[in-house]
Amino acid sequence: MLVAQLALNAVALGAAYALVAIGFVLVLNATTAVNFAHGESVVAGGFIAVALTGVASGIWPSSLPGIIFLPGVLLLTALLGLAIASLAYLPIRNKPPVSVFVTTIAFGIIVTNGLNAGFGAAPRTVPALLGSGTVEIFGITASRQSLAIIATATLLIGMLAILLQRTQLGRKFRASAQDPEMARALGIRLTRITLLGFALGTAFAGAAGLLLAHQFFITPFDGVGLILKAYVAVVIGGWGSLRGATLGAMLIATFEVAVASVSSQSLAEGLLYIAVLLVLLIRPEGIFGETQRLRA
Amino acid sequence: MSSALHVSGLTVRHGSVVAVRDATLIAPTGGITSVVGANGAGKSSLLRAIVGLTTTEGTIHLGDRDITRLSIEARIHSGIAYVPEGRRVFPGMTVAENLLVAGPSGRRVRSARLDAAFDLFPQLAARMTHHAWQLSGGQQQMLAIGRALMASPAVYLLDEPTLGLAPTVVDDVANSLIRLADSGATILMAEQNAGFAARVSRNLVTIRTGRIQSAPVEN
Amino acid sequence: MSPDRTELIQRQSPLLAGGGALVVYAMFIASSYDQRLLTISGIYVIMVLGYQFIFGHAGALSLAQGAFFGVGAYVTGILGSQLGAGFLATFPASIAIAAGLALIVGIPVLRLASHYFALATLALSQLLLLLAINWEPVTGGANGLPGVPPIQIGDLRIDRGVPQLAFVWGLAGVAILIASRQLRPIRVAMFTVMRESPLAVPAFGIDAGLLRLRAFLLSAAFGGAAGALFVHTNRVVSPETLGFGTMVTCLTMTVVGGRFRISGAIIGALLLTHLPEWFRGFDEYYLVMVGVLLLAMVIFVPDGLASFLKDSSWAGQIRTRARPAEPTDVLDAAKPTLNITNVSKRYGGIQALDRVGMSIETGEIVGLIGPNGAGKTTLANIITGIDRADSGSSKSAHIDLAAATPTAIARNGIARTFQTPQLPNELTVRTAIEVAAANNGGHCLTDTVITSCQLINILDAPCGTLPHGVRRRVEIARALAGQPHLLILDEPAAGLAPDEQTVVAEILRAHAAKGLAILVIDHNIDFLQPLATRLACLDSGRLIADGSVADVLADDAVLTAYFGILRQ
Repeated sequence: MLVAQLALNAVALGAAYALVAIGFVLVLNATTAVNFAHGESVVAGGFIAVALTGVASGIWPSSLPGIIFLPGVLLLTALLGLAIASLAYLPIRNKPPVSVFVTTIAFGIIVTNGLNAGFGAAPRTVPALLGSGTVEIFGITASRQSLAIIATATLLIGMLAILLQRTQLGRKFRASAQDPEMARALGIRLTRITLLGFALGTAFAGAAGLLLAHQFFITPFDGVGLILKAYVAVVIGGWGSLRGATLGAMLIATFEVAVASVSSQSLAEGLLYIAVLLVLLIRPEGIFGETQRLRA
Repeated sequence: MSSALHVSGLTVRHGSVVAVRDATLIAPTGGITSVVGANGAGKSSLLRAIVGLTTTEGTIHLGDRDITRLSIEARIHSGIAYVPEGRRVFPGMTVAENLLVAGPSGRRVRSARLDAAFDLFPQLAARMTHHAWQLSGGQQQMLAIGRALMASPAVYLLDEPTLGLAPTVVDDVANSLIRLADSGATILMAEQNAGFAARVSRNLVTIRTGRIQSAPVEN
Repeated sequence: MSPDRTELIQRQSPLLAGGGALVVYAMFIASSYDQRLLTISGIYVIMVLGYQFIFGHAGALSLAQGAFFGVGAYVTGILGSQLGAGFLATFPASIAIAAGLALIVGIPVLRLASHYFALATLALSQLLLLLAINWEPVTGGANGLPGVPPIQIGDLRIDRGVPQLAFVWGLAGVAILIASRQLRPIRVAMFTVMRESPLAVPAFGIDAGLLRLRAFLLSAAFGGAAGALFVHTNRVVSPETLGFGTMVTCLTMTVVGGRFRISGAIIGALLLTHLPEWFRGFDEYYLVMVGVLLLAMVIFVPDGLASFLKDSSWAGQIRTRARPAEPTDVLDAAKPTLNITNVSKRYGGIQALDRVGMSIETGEIVGLIGPNGAGKTTLANIITGIDRADSGSSKSAHIDLAAATPTAIARNGIARTFQTPQLPNELTVRTAIEVAAANNGGHCLTDTVITSCQLINILDAPCGTLPHGVRRRVEIARALAGQPHLLILDEPAAGLAPDEQTVVAEILRAHAAKGLAILVIDHNIDFLQPLATRLACLDSGRLIADGSVADVLADDAVLTAYFGILRQ
């Protein structure tokens, strides 16, 4: 019984982490750039939801379910992604990768401190996606929020899969990820692919912010921890693989929920960081291997 | 005979290395023109310059249009298709996806072209759901040519289509190129294998240490 | 005063002038608050100087500099406030523990490339932060530990204000001296090769792992020292010293000031410590501005404010440690200098090399030909240790090549050049040759090599400014400078005009006459035919011919594989 609830929590957390990790990989595939502002994009998504809740409460007297804000969060964080791409990536795309690390870190600093100045450092929350409380399914008491997170994440990932697999734009995106020079030689405009990757990737991070902020609260300074988790998921799952990133996110969430249930959240995080180091030391190519050659 | 592609005074530098010197070349409309030369003679650089992957001096005309100053994307859209050395198919995408990605934006035209590519390369039609990495070298070469066909270009640029292929497969490639040329396509091909080039080409040009050695010779 | 020191002073003269002005300001004008800011600046100078080693010279984004600073701070904080230990114990302990941590983490982590390294160091920082917050009995938890004593050496107590300021800047001066000693021109040149021509690192005889480890240890030691001084001025140690904020401060100072020059550390530290005072009105938005500044610097002034200072120090020459120019004739001893047997290598489904055997004797010039993809470069990579053979053996006179690292192979007399010359743009010809000579133990031959490769007139030109043909000669000189017994050249004639090819052939012939064994990979038969004493031909990974030039060029298999084009 308890195990089933824990498992549900783990899957819900994993689904939210999967959005973060997938967003990270989308940027990686579109550019090979590591976006160090990705954790801050999650935080930004959470605070955009906080802001939208505030605006909505002024218009609509009774409280609205969090899911209402999903389109707004997606749209605004996609714009944030375009800003990251055009300010922190495109101007220096031909410089060594370390430059992009630093500019995206700078962007993260801007986002963190902008949010801190605007909202303050105190933890904030957002409304539950589809109401709080629990429902009984198959004799299991399940939290509505957990179920809603799983459903929302599944919906978003499914829509992404359709976009990438079934549309011409998605084919162009994947072709550019596999061989950018050849993609250019087919007439594909790589700058557009880059912008698309950043917009989608950051929007996924933003959605995760909305999903996570209700249960775990959110402060402007949570970005560092989140990017590390996304990164671990991506490294475990095989650098650049979307499926691997999802799997990696599930593993991390399971680990976190399991350790936290018998001990503390801090210990879970500490062990996770040790795990990062160990994974990097033993198999930097990921536990499931590098599935796909990205840019040469 | 009209020229589909007219290159004149083309010089390509890689940093301080001159890969192609003052090359002038005409590919007449319809049929295959081959640039033959040894490794490192400048064949690939010539093709890469025409498609716009390297910067150049000189002028390039596609039909009557001067495309010298166009970006690579604009050159492609004005009617050049490029099949690089080593095929460069997208390994993680299926055969059909590899073809479709190079197609035009209209869905109906795209699927019509897909049918045309499968007509020319029935081997590909049989494997349309396979991933490109699962194909043999020869099949990958056909996929790369088919991908070029998807854009319905005025001129095909083919870089060493027989490189690393077994002799029997070379025959397959030769046959499909002849079929493509017979259907009215204009092809400019860089080739090390002179026997193959002589077999399929209408015109032959030789290149040596970056210089075109001879005017086009009717084969 | 030794010439070394005079040069140092000349080089640092803008720094000394600026320093003088600062001293006057600090002693006579500054308020006690200003003095405190200056003290903190001095502490950050030390941290940034350390960070420049790893982030600037080694080119690796470490996100652990804040953590090393914090470790230094906690060691001093804990020992000082809990055990009452004095500065002479706590300060070295802070440095040693920070450096020790870097050593433990560094040996495995430094192997990792770019983002892996960055994220591994970030994980380390987060781990230490968690530890500081949660290990309450020792660290005092989230509130930290108060009551850290001021600096006390014996009976001498360094009080706040001018004494502390002078002490901290005195140590910053020591740090500057250590940094400038560490950054001797030859080592700066080695770092440059590592950053800009990674492929050629072994060919230059550089042990990249060791160089990176040195940079990482220095960064940690400097960071630990800075952290220790920081808690002495603050008198409290708290988790913030370990946090990402400290890392961001350090990164911003380094990027703004400049990541290579000592003056950059000073400018960055002074500026970023005082900036918040000048922009007080911005309140919390100040840090947003810091982010904007960091972003703008990377895009518009990537080498930092120090790049506006005139400073010729990096163009400085490597001091040859006055060794007698007496060529040792190791090359004369006749011996088989390379012996490979049955070497095979597969990549994916392709048999790149199939049971290849070959031996090269002193004084021979062996030409290796074959069509594209025949395995020629793979063979060169296996001989030089960049690739490992799946089976078979390769040995040279001194060393088992199958077991040695590429650097060890280069140092043991097997030199190579690359298809595209691999020379960092900003190194001068002289420096490039001398770095290789110094690392590969051929110092005394440098002058001979420079003469024989006809480089005497362009010794001080940066490699990036040279035309291709000359770069080729510089790279050959780089290879010869290590006094090798075997030289492997990958397409030395490619892209050269006929007269340039003649010059290269002459250089090679002259050195072969002195006993050097040479393996030349090339397509250009016109170049090889008169040069080679023997010819070998690879096709699809198999050695299909090996013999006299005339025999190989008449061989049917060679003709079909390679000259198919001519037999139509």
